[in-house]
Amino acid sequence: MTTPPNVPIEPHAVDPHAYDNAAHLVDSAEEVHVGLTLDAVRPPSQEEILRVENLTVEFPTEDGVVHAVRGVSYTVREREVLGIVGESGSGKSVSSLAVMGLLPRSARVKGRILFRGDDMLKMSPRKQRGLRGRKLAMVFQDPMTALNPVHTIGDQLAEAVLAHELMPRKIALARAKEMLDLVGIPQAESRLRSYPHEFSGGMRQRAMIAMAVINNPDVIIADEPTTALDVTVQAQILEKLLEVKDAVNAAIVLITHDLGVIAGMAHRVLVMYAGRPVELGETDPVFEKPRMPYTAGLLGSIPSLDKDSGSARLRPIKGTPPSLINLPTGCPFSPRCPLATDICRTEEPPLAETDSGGHFAACHHWDRLAAAEDPTEFFRTESETVA
Amino acid sequence: MTLNAQAKGPGASADSQGMTIVARTQGQMVRRRFFRHRAALAGMLVFGFVIVLAFSSIGFAGIPGWWDKSYLDTGSLVNQGRPTLSVVPGFLGGEGFRFGEHPFGQDDLGIDYFALTMRGAQQSLIVALIVGVVATTVGTVVGAVAGYFRKGAEAVLMRLTDVMITIPVLIIAAVVGQMTGKSGAVALGIFLGLVLWPTLGRLVRGEFLSLREKEFVEAARAAGTSAKRIIFRHILPNTVGVIIVAATLSVANAVLLESALSFLGFGIQPPDTSLGQLINRYRSAMTVRPWLFWWPGIFIIAIALSINFIGDGLRDAFDPRQTRVRA
Amino acid sequence: MIVFIARRLVISFFVLLAATVIMFVLTALSGDPLEDLRQDNSPNRAAKIADRTERMQLDDPIPVRYLSWLGNVVRGDLGVNRDGHDVAIILGDALSATLQLVVAATVMAIIIGIVIGIVSALRQYSGFDYTVTFAAFICFSLPLFWVAVMLKQYMAIEFNNWLKDPSIPPTVIGALALLGGLVFGALTAGDRKRRLLSFAVGFAVTAALFTLLSVTRWFADPGFGLPLILAISLAAAVGFTVLSAGLNPRGPLYAALGAAVLGALASEVLRSVLADPTWLEIIGLALVTVAVCAGLGYALGGLQRRQAITAAVLTGLFTGGVIFVDRMLQAFNGYSAAVRGRPISTIGARTPNFEGDFWQMNLDSASHLLLPSMALILISLATYTRYSRASMLEVMNQDYVRTARAKGLPERTVVVKHAFRNGLIPITTLMAVDFAGVIGGAVVTETVFGWEGMGKMFITALHDVDPTPVMAFFIVTGTAIVVFNMIADILYAYLDPRIRLS
Repeated sequence: MTTPPNVPIEPHAVDPHAYDNAAHLVDSAEEVHVGLTLDAVRPPSQEEILRVENLTVEFPTEDGVVHAVRGVSYTVREREVLGIVGESGSGKSVSSLAVMGLLPRSARVKGRILFRGDDMLKMSPRKQRGLRGRKLAMVFQDPMTALNPVHTIGDQLAEAVLAHELMPRKIALARAKEMLDLVGIPQAESRLRSYPHEFSGGMRQRAMIAMAVINNPDVIIADEPTTALDVTVQAQILEKLLEVKDAVNAAIVLITHDLGVIAGMAHRVLVMYAGRPVELGETDPVFEKPRMPYTAGLLGSIPSLDKDSGSARLRPIKGTPPSLINLPTGCPFSPRCPLATDICRTEEPPLAETDSGGHFAACHHWDRLAAAEDPTEFFRTESETVA
Repeated sequence: MTLNAQAKGPGASADSQGMTIVARTQGQMVRRRFFRHRAALAGMLVFGFVIVLAFSSIGFAGIPGWWDKSYLDTGSLVNQGRPTLSVVPGFLGGEGFRFGEHPFGQDDLGIDYFALTMRGAQQSLIVALIVGVVATTVGTVVGAVAGYFRKGAEAVLMRLTDVMITIPVLIIAAVVGQMTGKSGAVALGIFLGLVLWPTLGRLVRGEFLSLREKEFVEAARAAGTSAKRIIFRHILPNTVGVIIVAATLSVANAVLLESALSFLGFGIQPPDTSLGQLINRYRSAMTVRPWLFWWPGIFIIAIALSINFIGDGLRDAFDPRQTRVRA
Repeated sequence: MIVFIARRLVISFFVLLAATVIMFVLTALSGDPLEDLRQDNSPNRAAKIADRTERMQLDDPIPVRYLSWLGNVVRGDLGVNRDGHDVAIILGDALSATLQLVVAATVMAIIIGIVIGIVSALRQYSGFDYTVTFAAFICFSLPLFWVAVMLKQYMAIEFNNWLKDPSIPPTVIGALALLGGLVFGALTAGDRKRRLLSFAVGFAVTAALFTLLSVTRWFADPGFGLPLILAISLAAAVGFTVLSAGLNPRGPLYAALGAAVLGALASEVLRSVLADPTWLEIIGLALVTVAVCAGLGYALGGLQRRQAITAAVLTGLFTGGVIFVDRMLQAFNGYSAAVRGRPISTIGARTPNFEGDFWQMNLDSASHLLLPSMALILISLATYTRYSRASMLEVMNQDYVRTARAKGLPERTVVVKHAFRNGLIPITTLMAVDFAGVIGGAVVTETVFGWEGMGKMFITALHDVDPTPVMAFFIVTGTAIVVFNMIADILYAYLDPRIRLS
């Protein structure tokens, strides 16, 4: 799955100096031309709405137990955008499905998920359901399959309202129309009667966003909301997401494997690897001064459009993520890590605070990264070394 | 900019990371999944047992078997023809395991019912297996040709199957059975197979239609591979699972179909016999000699059930989507 | 739509035409139509042979015979069989007998099969699921005629014997209670403790029920009586409400309960009408029920008016059904005496020369339908169960079901509105095709139970190598298959807005 380089679709609206320090790393941040930037939206407050503590998720299968999520903790503050990055299988989607309570029955979920102080894992199913869709909403990855093909858009939107509030259908439909207007679907009134297959991919994702915000939720979990869409539509959708978030005053948990999107949209970022959080902090410091080799490796894997940039070579991470059934001992990244030493292979490092406040990393050697001028240099390819 | 693709750099072998990944061929995986399916395994054992029992006991094609009585000889009734088989062990109040003179009893003419049932099972199995082979072969060939070449071949196949599905299976089978039943099990099997292939043909065609658009087929075509080679080396191996499962289930259906035909009088004709015909012949004996009714029925169920379970196991084995999660 | 139907009809016509050629030729070639006469030793043998040869045009080659048959059919004449009887008349009788037999059985099989399949899918990998799966495999592997003969022996002959002294031995009650407990336990989701509890409840309820039935000798003089009718209807009202609207808010529940109470009361008020009604009156009563219940739902439904109407109408019709069954059971005693204490019949469609009131006549057909229907249901039940289970499992894993849950919809809405509505689409196709199949497909059952239907007509004609009745049979079944396939496609397009007929 390779994404073609993004084509600018709108005049540059981002402060050109916003990412100066990390420019050589995250050139792609400029490619996603989010017209509405984080600076324009209302800032987050310090009030915590969602707190995930030591969340673990396991799936028993015939081949053994899959440890999909192993001890994830994070918090989401009011109006904040928290980015979660990682490869497929890093546990980012599973952990958010756990928060929504949407995992299959066979999943074993442990830890605490506190919504405004209430542990959702200990709630009655009825109470949990009352939060789903009302306080916690979700936008899924693939709008092609996430909408029911046999019901109209209006019906699917209205039922989200009616699930939590008893009101005449007409009023619910009026609210649905309002939401379609908000997410920028033209002729919302007649579009209510359309079926999902009559919508384009981008319009369906807009409808999904409308569905997510129709009850004014506190948190919107967006699970790779643009992965399945055309590149040209991706930016529009992300922009709409930020705009809508502000309209309803919600926080966003943005799950993606696109570092550019995170750089442009998230206040804070959580990097996950093999079911574990490996780095957490404010977005800019994390991308400028990664304290975990995996994050550095990710940054080195991004192709740059900037030909002049000396370090624009691709520096991919070698190897593949470990099997979640038989995890290697020690740090799960150690088999692929250029900095790995013996301790990495025997002892799994905890997520601990590093040199700057609020910047956490799970690495025995974060100080070596801190000492390096270019954190991606450890991933230098052989050809580069020869040259 | 997608991490997944970039992160998996080329040349990163599993060994270099100190991890060993055992590569398994498709066959090994299928076998492994099949043998994990307990019902399928049991089905295989039962089916094997029935085949061995049916063919070794009374012998086949002139080769004598280990059972000393024939399915044609009449004799004097022993104990009113009751079965002498006993399987309840002594300590449970039974008579211990004993085969006896006439394990399945005798019919009203004194024919040994074990020998007769074995003969019936042989005939039913022969018909079913031949139906399976013929229908699968014809269906696969026609389906493959129609699915790959489209155009003329496909139109012909589709119209032909359209015509065939307007005739209920039992009806066309009855007509064919009336024509060929007298000629014995082999002829009946071949002709039934010749009218029962369209379902499988449609299935194979469907598989071919979707596979022929796949990249690997396009690649082969672009490389100038001949149509024959593409069909047999590239597409067919990928449809093997579907075909094997359908073939297995068609055998199970054929067992039931043959017995139904014999029951209606359109199957194997007397003096030869089959399981269905035995049930029909001794239908009225239900109240007096129920065993004449029970034994062939039990054998039909055992054969059909075991094949159905084998088919289910194969389906699970060939369809890796169904990785089962233990609840 | 009209273009679609027209085009399909034209294509189907040619397909059918081709199929008639195959059927006619194969049938004509399948044997010797004069076989019975050749073994005939009566003096006028030659005359008989000549007679039949002329009637069946045996001196003409088969294509000529086919064309002349086709010519007659085009003129609306189905011809005569080899003995000179008019095939159209034989066909009419056979068709009505077969429809009587298969329609009820197929509808029952569809409803029961889909319900079991859905429950089995929702409780995947539970004890219930495994049992259903195993039972379905057994059903797939059962020879229908064998089952039919067994049913005759144990459900009719032995059951009739038992009815003379209908007390249930304690061991049987124990076994039934165990079964009841297992079903309850297997259906319960949750930990071991909850399952054991529901096993105990199921065991106790079943044991109590059958002990009561045995002690009161209920089977000797069955019937429900008003309190039981009311209890069953109220339970059904709750059930239908849960399925269609949920218990909160109360509007739909009150409408359904109201429907149940009104229905039960009506059975008392209408005593004189129900004493010996006609079918017309029964249908009229059903229509009145629908109207009254719809009104109830409209009045009490509040914001959930639509769901309330559904719940109330279903409850009303169900209550009517319970009352109907109760009346029939009350007629049991008289009927049983009339057939010398052997109420479950094994042969034919009705007791010869039996005359009784509306309920007794219905009971008579019901008792004749019971066994063949059971045989038919048993076999097609398995298909529907497996099919709807697979369909539901597939649908339950779809993203849009996850979306529905993410909206916070109650599980009932997720299953009924989002999953079942989609899972229904492939099942509908199966239903339509299957319905066509059973019209000609009850061949074996009809043979076992001496039912003078389509199957019997076909078997006799084929044995006689007599193409005209075989072809008449085929025209009906073939047309049914073609038409129902078309209905399946239309239904498909109706259920799935992505499909457009063209």
